[in-house]
Amino acid sequence: MVNSSFTQPLLKTSFRVNEINQASVAAFQLLISGNSEIWHIISLSFGVSLTAILIATPIALIVSFFLAFFQFPLRRALISLFNTFMSVPAVIIGLTLYLLLSRSGPLGNLGLLFTSKAMVIGQILLCFPLLVAMAHSSFQAADRRAWETAITLGAKPWRAFFTLMYELRFGLIAAVVAGFGRIIAEIGCSMMVGGNILNATRNIPTAIALETSKGEFAQGIALGMVLLILSLGLNAGVSIFQGRGELQA
Amino acid sequence: MSRLIEYHDVRISLAKKQILNIDKLTVDSQQCTLLTGRNGSGKTTLLKIISGLLKPSHACVHYQGLQMSWPQAKTYIQRDTIYLHQQPYLFDASVADNIAYGLYRSGESKACAHKKVAQALDWADLTHLAHRSAKQLSGGEKQRVALTRARILSPRLLLLDEPTASMDSDAKLQTSALLQRLKSEGISIIISSHEAHTVNKIADRHLLIEDGQIQLLSQASLSDKVTQLNTARNTP
Repeated sequence: MVNSSFTQPLLKTSFRVNEINQASVAAFQLLISGNSEIWHIISLSFGVSLTAILIATPIALIVSFFLAFFQFPLRRALISLFNTFMSVPAVIIGLTLYLLLSRSGPLGNLGLLFTSKAMVIGQILLCFPLLVAMAHSSFQAADRRAWETAITLGAKPWRAFFTLMYELRFGLIAAVVAGFGRIIAEIGCSMMVGGNILNATRNIPTAIALETSKGEFAQGIALGMVLLILSLGLNAGVSIFQGRGELQA
Repeated sequence: MSRLIEYHDVRISLAKKQILNIDKLTVDSQQCTLLTGRNGSGKTTLLKIISGLLKPSHACVHYQGLQMSWPQAKTYIQRDTIYLHQQPYLFDASVADNIAYGLYRSGESKACAHKKVAQALDWADLTHLAHRSAKQLSGGEKQRVALTRARILSPRLLLLDEPTASMDSDAKLQTSALLQRLKSEGISIIISSHEAHTVNKIADRHLLIEDGQIQLLSQASLSDKVTQLNTARNTP
């Protein structure tokens, strides 16, 4: 005997295909019409993630350069630590940050919980290990002659560092894009420390989760499209950039 | 010839093994030195120490007669010395931009740098390659671009690590002609090479690194030593 409670959701899902098609059309209309709520969510999402990546990238590049080019105690332990943190789930980072920023937590008096600043901090913590690990691989594989040549031609160490980054630009840009990809689409941390408050901390992933749970697919699909277009755009951009590099080499 | 640099008690150990233990090494201005030695004898390490790229475990440096600590000496040495790798590294840019790199680092204006680069390209007969990507050049062309890039900065001392290794005979001739011209301009040169016959004509003295120490070779003993070294290299 077939369990009816088991088959009902399947029937419901197939029945919803039409509903989803209609929702997709509505999603296009929502985006084109310039719906203020949707565009606020999109701008907040990009604002938070771009701020996080802009803060994390320079520090991560310097850290990864030191890890690759200098020998010091605990260097290997640090590399292992960053590699481990690279795969820590966003929700664990969110939970830890929530405990630190909640009123009874050690950083509670800063009043950051459920603000976009808390989301930025969470996203920095999320993308930093990934940026360090990927940039470290690039620096590790770098031709040491590039650094030595820059120094011997009179570049100060900081200038030689920029020269080296230019030489490794394809790998480093891929690291930044991967870091941005990780945080723009993460939901666990933003939901926990942002609280998904409309016009304050609601970003694309938390809005998609909320609208889908309410059965409002149009907004969810519209926001999903933005993420898909962004992902396609970033990947296409990186491919074109790297392709040019291959042609030049 | 005046004394440019004097190194005393140069010692360096890598992976707990002593690579160099040199009592005294002097470099005079406008002097060309040929440095020979077996593979792994420490030629590259010594050149990197002399250029200030590698910190020795111990070294006492006299730069133009003044005794200096390593950090002090390193600043002066790096200002006046250029080291060229066995296979020179050219940045991912055009030949002209590669040659201009050091000029920009020394604060040269764009207009002045352009003028100097054009003259340098003409000097090395590289004008036709000015806008080519440096990564697309042949080994010999890369070496000539690297030498031009070094010369434009008017160094007092040029350190060349196997500058003619794995080059065809034409490229070797062109490179050694450039080296001759650099020497005639008054630049001190230290060349590490197994191919003594290629650079022998321009060398004023010959040094051999053996067991981490340096010995001065006479012209007669040089050819014997080079034959020995080449036999050792070719013996599996």
